[in-house]
Amino acid sequence: MSAERPQDTPNGAAESTVLGKRVDRRRALSVLIGGMAAAAGAASACSPLSAMTDEEKEAKRLAWREYIKGNYRTMTEAERAETIARLEHLAKVKQGTDVTIQSTGAQPGVVFGYAFNISKCQGFRSCVEACINENNLDRRAATQYIRIFEMEDGVIDLDHADATFQHEVPAEGHFYLGTQCFQCADPPCVKVCPVGATWQEPDGITVVDYDWCIGCRYCMAACPYWARRFNWSAPEVPAAEVNPNQHYLGNRARKVGVVEKCTFCIHRTRQGRLPACVEACPTGARVFGNLLDPKSEIRWVLANKRVFRLRRI
Amino acid sequence: MTPRRLLTIAFLVAQAWMISACRDRDRAAADDRAELGAIRGAPVTDPARASADSVVTIANATLEPGALGTVFSARVDGWKGPGDQPFEVTVRTADPASALHRRFGTITMGTSLRARAPDLGQYPCTSCHLGRRMLLADERVADAHDNIESVHPAQTGAICSTCHAADDVELLALKSGERATLDHAYRLCAQCHFSQAESWAGGAHGKRLDGWQGRRVVMGCADCHDPHAPALEPRIPFRAPQIERPRGPRP
Ligand code: SF4
Repeated sequence: MSAERPQDTPNGAAESTVLGKRVDRRRALSVLIGGMAAAAGAASACSPLSAMTDEEKEAKRLAWREYIKGNYRTMTEAERAETIARLEHLAKVKQGTDVTIQSTGAQPGVVFGYAFNISKCQGFRSCVEACINENNLDRRAATQYIRIFEMEDGVIDLDHADATFQHEVPAEGHFYLGTQCFQCADPPCVKVCPVGATWQEPDGITVVDYDWCIGCRYCMAACPYWARRFNWSAPEVPAAEVNPNQHYLGNRARKVGVVEKCTFCIHRTRQGRLPACVEACPTGARVFGNLLDPKSEIRWVLANKRVFRLRRI
Repeated sequence: MTPRRLLTIAFLVAQAWMISACRDRDRAAADDRAELGAIRGAPVTDPARASADSVVTIANATLEPGALGTVFSARVDGWKGPGDQPFEVTVRTADPASALHRRFGTITMGTSLRARAPDLGQYPCTSCHLGRRMLLADERVADAHDNIESVHPAQTGAICSTCHAADDVELLALKSGERATLDHAYRLCAQCHFSQAESWAGGAHGKRLDGWQGRRVVMGCADCHDPHAPALEPRIPFRAPQIERPRGPRP
């Protein structure tokens, strides 16, 4: 399971631009640091740094190092290990949580797919609950990757569907359809990103480098399913509720002003486990598996059941 | 050869076949009785219970104390799983002493389809039933199964012995005359719900546990559906609790 390197990717051209930008930014920043250091030296007597505890200083230092790091795709293994160590340390310093951040790469010969059974879903939203807990979603803004739509029997009409129902389910004469990121084969959100902060991994999962995203929200406008979420404020998860099993491209702590999205629980699925929503669904409405494996359940469903794509793009 | 001779030979062959079939059945019945004798009083997770199912026992795992382990796999002939593979059911079991912690919404990696017996409130059945006789002869017998909500039997006109073997209530009676353990209730359900069983074998009905990779472990019919009242209960859906947002400027 080797992590993807820039030269392995099909869009190498885009990579080198990213690389170019990174070098430029770094150079600019290092000049800036030099200037700041000089300024700090000149004004050391009234510097707020002196009023800080050692821990706060350490957090500031780590945060700064984090700020000037590169795009995840252009990092070497050593650089990835360094940033992960920093992020884990930051989580400890900031919130006292012991988190483990993986950088597990895609398995060869695997492309993930999932199917949603609209004749099974009862609208319980157990998947939403599991997703929030698993992916450390912002509790203050009540961020949710999954929306369950309630629609009247007979026609799929998302424009008039109710995603905010709060009554006993299943309601008579209604059916339920869940949407979240479908991990498009040809994702439009990736094409519009001006800085290469979001891309598709070899196993089909579209991920975001939260530390490279500039928060322009172009990708949100491009997504036909409204599957991306923007952090208007710094996400808040109570320390006791933080899921410590994290992935760099998945459920690690996000910050204000960046976009995030469903990653099929990348930290679980790359280790052979099921996404949290699939595991939590009490009706078995969600089927998940490897599209390239003819012996997988998802392939059986595609071959033997009446299936449709929600919307072609 | 004259047609008459041919007929005679055919008759003799048929008779021989019938006699041997009868003998087989008697032998099977005797085996069954021996099995049942052996089963009675056996611990809940004893893999020997599997022998009441006329299915291939593939693997018997030894259980570490407190751990979840695979008890055995059973092959369902004629059913096709994903990739047209013969359908194989792995029934897992928990150490009866360990805590039972299946709860929807937080199924963990370690939890999986288990032998159902540890889940049952009134088990073993032999604490009251002995064959067709009752061990207890007091008022407790009358309301012993008050907890059973008899929806499915009422709908279908079934009585206890339609599904439960009258002479050994710990087993299920199939229409073919075969018996199935409670872990293999799908064999009973599939007699009528064949299209659901087909979907289940393929992976479109029911749930897979333990992950998308590796050995396929699925939940059985009775893990989700109460056999006596199989419809899922309506619920109030989950709503995300929100940390209160203070008025005024953002903190
Ligand atoms: S919001 Fe972030 S990920 Fe989305 S297009 Fe802008 S920079 Fe790229």
